[in-house]
Amino acid sequence: MSAGAYFTALAARFDGLVEPLNTLDAALGDGDHGTTMRRGLVKAAAAGPGLRAKAFMRASGGASGTLFGLILHEIERHLDAGAPLADGLARAEARIRDLGHVAEGDKSMVDALAPAVRALAGRGSLPQAVTAAAAGREATRELAARRGRAQYVEGGGVGHVDPGATSVVHLLETLADIGDAS
Amino acid sequence: MKKLFNSAERMVDDMIDGYVAAYPQVRRGAQDPRIVVRARQVKDPARKVALLIGNGSGHEPIAMGFVGAGLLDANVVGDVFAAPSADLILDGIREIAGPAGALLLISQHSGDMINGRAAVMLAEEEGLKVRALPMYDDISSAPRARLHDRRGAPGTMFVYKILGAAAERGMGLDDLMALGEAVRARTTTLAAAASAGISPLTGKPMFCLPDDEIYLGMGVHGEPGIGRVKVGPVDELVERMVAALLADRPIAEGASAAVIVNGMGGTTLMELLTVYRETRAALARRGIDAVAPMIGSYVTTQEMGGFSISLLEPDPRMLDLWCAPSDSPFFPRIEDHRA
Repeated sequence: MSAGAYFTALAARFDGLVEPLNTLDAALGDGDHGTTMRRGLVKAAAAGPGLRAKAFMRASGGASGTLFGLILHEIERHLDAGAPLADGLARAEARIRDLGHVAEGDKSMVDALAPAVRALAGRGSLPQAVTAAAAGREATRELAARRGRAQYVEGGGVGHVDPGATSVVHLLETLADIGDAS
Repeated sequence: MKKLFNSAERMVDDMIDGYVAAYPQVRRGAQDPRIVVRARQVKDPARKVALLIGNGSGHEPIAMGFVGAGLLDANVVGDVFAAPSADLILDGIREIAGPAGALLLISQHSGDMINGRAAVMLAEEEGLKVRALPMYDDISSAPRARLHDRRGAPGTMFVYKILGAAAERGMGLDDLMALGEAVRARTTTLAAAASAGISPLTGKPMFCLPDDEIYLGMGVHGEPGIGRVKVGPVDELVERMVAALLADRPIAEGASAAVIVNGMGGTTLMELLTVYRETRAALARRGIDAVAPMIGSYVTTQEMGGFSISLLEPDPRMLDLWCAPSDSPFFPRIEDHRA
């Protein structure tokens, strides 16, 4: 499966996610997560080989554009050059933890990414990793945020699912849907 | 508020167009039009460490105004008040990194740190030799116990200039990092805001401040600081600021301090020179000699009123590099009156 097909499918999928993700983000942040994800993915889908994750970073903008761009960078390398997905996602997770000063349990994208990385490291299949990520996303509902804007929301956003963790599940689910064997 | 631009979409690129057309020291980068690079040839490019910084625009002349010999090799220009993206900074690193490597300076703000460090990770993945140096000096942004959480403020110009001069003389990447950390450790800055700048994006003031109050410790984007004081004679204000700077990092009687008095954009040179007069006097009362001052509006936030005072207690090598000649469109000549 090519990176081009993946980014095209991802951009199409996020067309329908702009409003739901913005709504989730409105409870915790500035309410534009769906808009910025879609804006980045539209440019990524139109970019050339090797340039898609970078086009995403540029167009999506901000720190979140960089952090999601680092995941997409590894998926792009996996699809274009056959780099192992498990290693790539593990590297993206380590970079996101380092750059964002964020740990598992902080109510962030890492809460979905880390369980997926663990599943792949344990020789799990990509669908199993998606299941693990989705469970991690659901668990963010009861977490209080310790990083990002949500930490300033009353109660740390308890009762709301984290939009970043939600997007991570969509990135992985799209990869599984297009038949990637990882 | 009236702002003189063509459109919000074009304002940053139009500015860069005017800048690179005006000055022979700079040109546009080949990798991306948002990169401003040094135009004149380095004597031995294979041996010189390249220095660059990325920053949001709207604060000119910093940092693109300091691209040139003895200073920065490139500046990556972001949107107004927004850090450039990691891939754009990566393009900047690609543009200038040679065998001697590149040093990315980062004025510590959350977005700049995340995007800058991500760019360094991606550059290393491509086999480029590059390191990142976070710069922070604003004593109002975090207590000394959390020094590493402080914001970058106009005292970062000491790092730009001293490392720029050292790199020009052939200093290697590891030594530049160590020198930059040493300068950072000896630098403190405190700001006093008098009035808000107008955002070119919204056309509205960036914060509210009563006519008779000064806000001590405000960041370059209007971030909160220490608190408000009533406006009075500037000598009292400066005495209070110098006392706070020296309480944070003492300088011994008999030592000297290099001084930056930076205007935020809407404060006149007449006022800034008065601030320097009072800064020099406040230091002299403590037996500290003010040397090699830099006075003017270099780190601005549109027409924001106010100023900051930065102090560096230099060792002889730092002072020599601070006063070394440079050739960029907007960095001034610095002179040690005792030399």
